[in-house]
Amino acid sequence: MAALALSSELADVSPVATARRADVERLRAGLPAALQGRVWRARELVRRPGEGPPGEERLPISLPAFDRLLAGGLPRGALVELVGTRSSGRFALVLAALAAATCGGEAAALVDLGGHLDPRAAQETGCDLERLLWVWPKYLREALAGTEMLLTGGFPLVVVDLGSPPVPGGRGEDASWLRLARTAEAHRASLLVAAPYRVAAIAAAMVLRTQVRRPTWRGKGREPRLLAGMDSRLVLERCRGARSAPSAPSAPSAPSDHSPGAGIELERRSA
Amino acid sequence: MPRVACLHVPLFALAARLRSEPELGQEALAVFDGVRSGARGGAGQAARIVAANRVARRAGLRPGMTLTQARARVARLVARGRDPECERAAQQALLEVAMSFSPRVEDGEEGIVYLEVDGLERHFRGPEPELQMARALATSAARAGLPAGVGLAASKLAAKVAAGLPSSPTLVPAGEEARFLAHLPLARLAPELELGETLRRWGVRTVGDLARLPADDVVSRLGPAGQELHATARGLDPRPLSPRQPPPVFAEGLELEWPLVALEPFLFAARSALERLTRRLETCGLACARLELSLRLEPDGYAERALDLPAPTRDAKTLLTLVRLDLEGRPPGAPVVGFSFIAHPDRPRQAQLSLFGPPELSPDRLATTLARLFALLGPGRVGSPRPEDGHRPERFALVEYQPPPPPRVRPASAAGPVRGLLTARVLRPPIGLEVLTAARPDAAAPPCPTSVRSPRSAGIGGAVRVASGPWTMEEGWWTESPAAREYWDVELADGGLYRIFRDRTSGEWFADGIYD
Repeated sequence: MAALALSSELADVSPVATARRADVERLRAGLPAALQGRVWRARELVRRPGEGPPGEERLPISLPAFDRLLAGGLPRGALVELVGTRSSGRFALVLAALAAATCGGEAAALVDLGGHLDPRAAQETGCDLERLLWVWPKYLREALAGTEMLLTGGFPLVVVDLGSPPVPGGRGEDASWLRLARTAEAHRASLLVAAPYRVAAIAAAMVLRTQVRRPTWRGKGREPRLLAGMDSRLVLERCRGARSAPSAPSAPSAPSDHSPGAGIELERRSA
Repeated sequence: MPRVACLHVPLFALAARLRSEPELGQEALAVFDGVRSGARGGAGQAARIVAANRVARRAGLRPGMTLTQARARVARLVARGRDPECERAAQQALLEVAMSFSPRVEDGEEGIVYLEVDGLERHFRGPEPELQMARALATSAARAGLPAGVGLAASKLAAKVAAGLPSSPTLVPAGEEARFLAHLPLARLAPELELGETLRRWGVRTVGDLARLPADDVVSRLGPAGQELHATARGLDPRPLSPRQPPPVFAEGLELEWPLVALEPFLFAARSALERLTRRLETCGLACARLELSLRLEPDGYAERALDLPAPTRDAKTLLTLVRLDLEGRPPGAPVVGFSFIAHPDRPRQAQLSLFGPPELSPDRLATTLARLFALLGPGRVGSPRPEDGHRPERFALVEYQPPPPPRVRPASAAGPVRGLLTARVLRPPIGLEVLTAARPDAAAPPCPTSVRSPRSAGIGGAVRVASGPWTMEEGWWTESPAAREYWDVELADGGLYRIFRDRTSGEWFADGIYD
């Protein structure tokens, strides 16, 4: 590793290296879009042991507000907590994350404590159900144990949805969440915990909060009403040790409780 | 060259049938293959006689006759179709006879079994120990209900030809295979039809005639098939005996020094047995697809149980967890004095690694994970979800999780901003509600919900700010559990968005979804 880092530093100052960098850029430009992100310079390949290839440290979920706040998507090897009350769009974000992973050909697991998943709705969101493993525990204790099994089993994305309050089993112990965060880090897996209130405490590398704004109703006055969608707000409450990605200039460099957040529009596909 | 014995049951289909129904031996019996005329769905090949017993043959029945022709000859003919189950059992019985003499046995199928008998003659006394051994083989086969001819030679083919001769048992002295075969008709070598016709035109009538022809000329004129037939005629069998390998038995167990009543001490002993078992499976490159546990109970009796695994695994910890859960759910009911595990092996799943696509889950680890999840949560709570036909949102199906291989190249993410979809959390089962309604200006319209209250634990309640509906849903009116519902979307004063419905049969209200 040291030799590789040295050679990459030398490469950066030599004219040959400049030419090589240009060559790599030219090569990238000539490749199909799917392969452009798979060609790296030696310097880009120098990374910590256990890290994935560059460009694959985040899982974008194709919701601009979410991806922007998280500097490109869900981080690999970290626990992200998504907190939100009822009807705040939390479950929509859960399904969007699952859809993004499964459509990209990755396996994903949903630990659904309340058993709230509607497979048809998940399909409409874009989930590839063949790649989705649904786990329906009865208690939080089972959910935590199952999540650890899934992380050690190699699932690149595990989403834990604790459903609506009251959560059967309470908040769980801090040590359990820390253990899950460590397991996710060891296996380079994204762990998204969606809960009605904060449960993971210091184990969470990032904490996002979904806030209710307003539902959108069609029809006024005496006209019949139709639920058309919902506006929600996403706020980054906590971000620990986030490294800004060069491709995402709006990376959360100074997270705070007063983060302006971003609006999320959720629309209803069919009545 | 090792000595090879051949057990040959002539007219095997008939012999297998008579083994199962020996009372038919005195009747005119024929076994046919194909479809009986007049049988339902009898559009296949017409039934033809495959084999007939001596009584039927004396009456003029020959193999190849149609069943109608056979019945015309013998009015009281007992005709039976070929029975694969009978024949499989008979073949197995013949193999067992052979294995009671030698461990090196080859299944020749259709009533033929070869066995290596080198050195076995020493177990028989008398002037001709080999002959006695051959007679003992024939006697054992007859005891198993199969009249078998026995032949001994240095090659499989010579032994088979010898076993087919009427003067059974027939012994071919070592090195005299060619001379033994020489006087036999060429048909004994069962040449291909075209090859046999060519040789007949050449005037080759016996095996010896063929063996005397120059080998090079036979090869140049008849090709590889002729070369093989010529070598066979000279007593050179190119196919050595390939003994059948008995399936490996993966079993581990222990007789306990004192009876065990508690679960933990038993699991302590079971763990080491399972670890030994999984190590053996790993050595053979196999995994456990099904685990059988046999518990010997005090004072007598056994408790048997089988654990089917969702995917082959060789993780002892997973297997032990499954055993623990099974024993906790169904205790044996008596102290345990011994146990044994039997693993049914299967090939572990293999993954193909990709250079550019997303990584595939390791099949071995996935199998272990699934097994452990099944053990933790029980059936019906782990799987791949599928929508079910119908309109009831609470319905779903779970299928076995078998993700397809990932794409070879990671697909590009959707370009441009994408809007999220509003989805509902399905409440399973639906939560009962107390709903106040108010009449609407349109008298024909159903009343509109104005206030909602649920049991305290569900936490749904408040004045209805906006209500949208009703949408009627009716499903399965022809079944025992029909559904007739009026759905409403309501926004409550606390901002919660719910999908509620009124059951038109009972008039009760329920919430079955939260928009989130």
